[in-house]
Amino acid sequence: MKLTLQIWRQAGDTDSGHYETFEVDQLDAGMSILEMLDRLNEQLLHEGKEAIAYDSECRESICGTCGINVNGRPHGPQPHVTSCMQRLRSFHDGATVRIEPLRAGAFPVKKDLVTDRGGLDRIIAAGGTVSLMAGTAPDSDAISVGHDQVERALDFAACIGCGACVSACPNGAAVLFTGAKITHLTMLPIPAIERNERATYMVAAMEDEFGPCSLYGECVLVCPQNVPLSAIGSLNKERLRSLFHPRI
Amino acid sequence: MSVTPDTGATPVTLNKPELPPQFRVSARRQKRLPNWGLKAVMAITGVIGALFLAMHLFGNLKVYTGAEHFNKYAYWLRHVGEPLLPANAVVWVLRVVLAGCIVLHIVSAAILWVRGRKARGKFSAKRRGGLRSFEATLMPLTGICIALFVVFHIADLTLGVQPLASETFQEPTDTAAFAYQNLIASFSRPWSAAIYIVMMVLLSIHVSHGLYTVVSDLGALGKRLRAVLITIGGATAVFILLGNASIPIAVLIGVLS
Repeated sequence: MKLTLQIWRQAGDTDSGHYETFEVDQLDAGMSILEMLDRLNEQLLHEGKEAIAYDSECRESICGTCGINVNGRPHGPQPHVTSCMQRLRSFHDGATVRIEPLRAGAFPVKKDLVTDRGGLDRIIAAGGTVSLMAGTAPDSDAISVGHDQVERALDFAACIGCGACVSACPNGAAVLFTGAKITHLTMLPIPAIERNERATYMVAAMEDEFGPCSLYGECVLVCPQNVPLSAIGSLNKERLRSLFHPRI
Repeated sequence: MSVTPDTGATPVTLNKPELPPQFRVSARRQKRLPNWGLKAVMAITGVIGALFLAMHLFGNLKVYTGAEHFNKYAYWLRHVGEPLLPANAVVWVLRVVLAGCIVLHIVSAAILWVRGRKARGKFSAKRRGGLRSFEATLMPLTGICIALFVVFHIADLTLGVQPLASETFQEPTDTAAFAYQNLIASFSRPWSAAIYIVMMVLLSIHVSHGLYTVVSDLGALGKRLRAVLITIGGATAVFILLGNASIPIAVLIGVLS
């Protein structure tokens, strides 16, 4: 199949950027969008032009490195699928596809389709870790965590931090991301010990760079890991709760 | 500092490693008015507003019990608590609380709106029809309309400011109120009735989405609770719409006169 691509080109962070149109032929419907970009880059290098810069790592939807807006939608037309797993069969032959970086105020474009998503890392560094010396391992039955509880925690822990939720949000908020990161730790007994200081610090870091939530619900539509909207209520609960509990 | 959970193991100690400066929370700009705080203020003031609307609707529906009873109710509102309280005491307490809520609600909304635009950057996000995307998009618009409507409503039926109020507007006296006559006179003007009906539609959209976001802003979780609250918010909005909008319609078609 053949596609016409309008791709965002930007030389560096100070460049204003523009769309450039390319034609790519002999594509297979089973190829991913990133494989299509590889094909295009081969073509460009062959012509002696500069290749299009984009992020990718595992190509199996678990690392959260890839992320581009395809026709204005983070990752691509298929819901709950990362860019690396989006197949070209979503487009009909001869279609025009617009590819741009994940757009958000907190994600400055570094080059072409590569954005700096360090703001998400700074939220994690502010408290999304377990900083407890657990000492010797407790007896395996000393703290019982039910199967349902573990599954619920894993629903939130599934977040891969790709930043699609931020890009989809009309307010550029990272509340779904931060909510997922806080909630999975809160649901497990040892990490929950630090929940109050975690909520305080992570929310401060989040609000420093990202916007407020108006509950549009756009984030959950594009989340590749299907993180539930409950993460948002949970984040607010953790932050309000920390007001009433002493911090360790 | 040590914290000991009941694990039977050695004490658990905090061991937060020193972070590089750019990651340190102490180095970050803490917002004086945090977003979560502003959202909580909006939620609480919004709920107070919705409770007032429910009470106001209950009072309004007394119009169907006849002029005498309705005017008696209007008179009672200004004289409730007498002689323990001075005249108009309860009305003024309500006015001050509601005005405070409206100011807090609008200021918080404006700050959050500006922050949201700033965080969005220069490329807008395409709406893909999220759970409540349409209603959320409408919130600032319906909010501004409601603020203007409150001014009109007070000028029309409380202060009697011309030309917004009807020509036959009567101020309440120490012994009687003329709320019924004023209401009929105002709604007999088709443009005035139209404003009231359209505003009730916008108000109910605002309230239905507002009551739904309240749960999330105040930290409630879960799909089931969300569904319950969407239903409660929707039902409240429908009551406000049908109850209040029925009055100008009843006046226009001559059921009330």
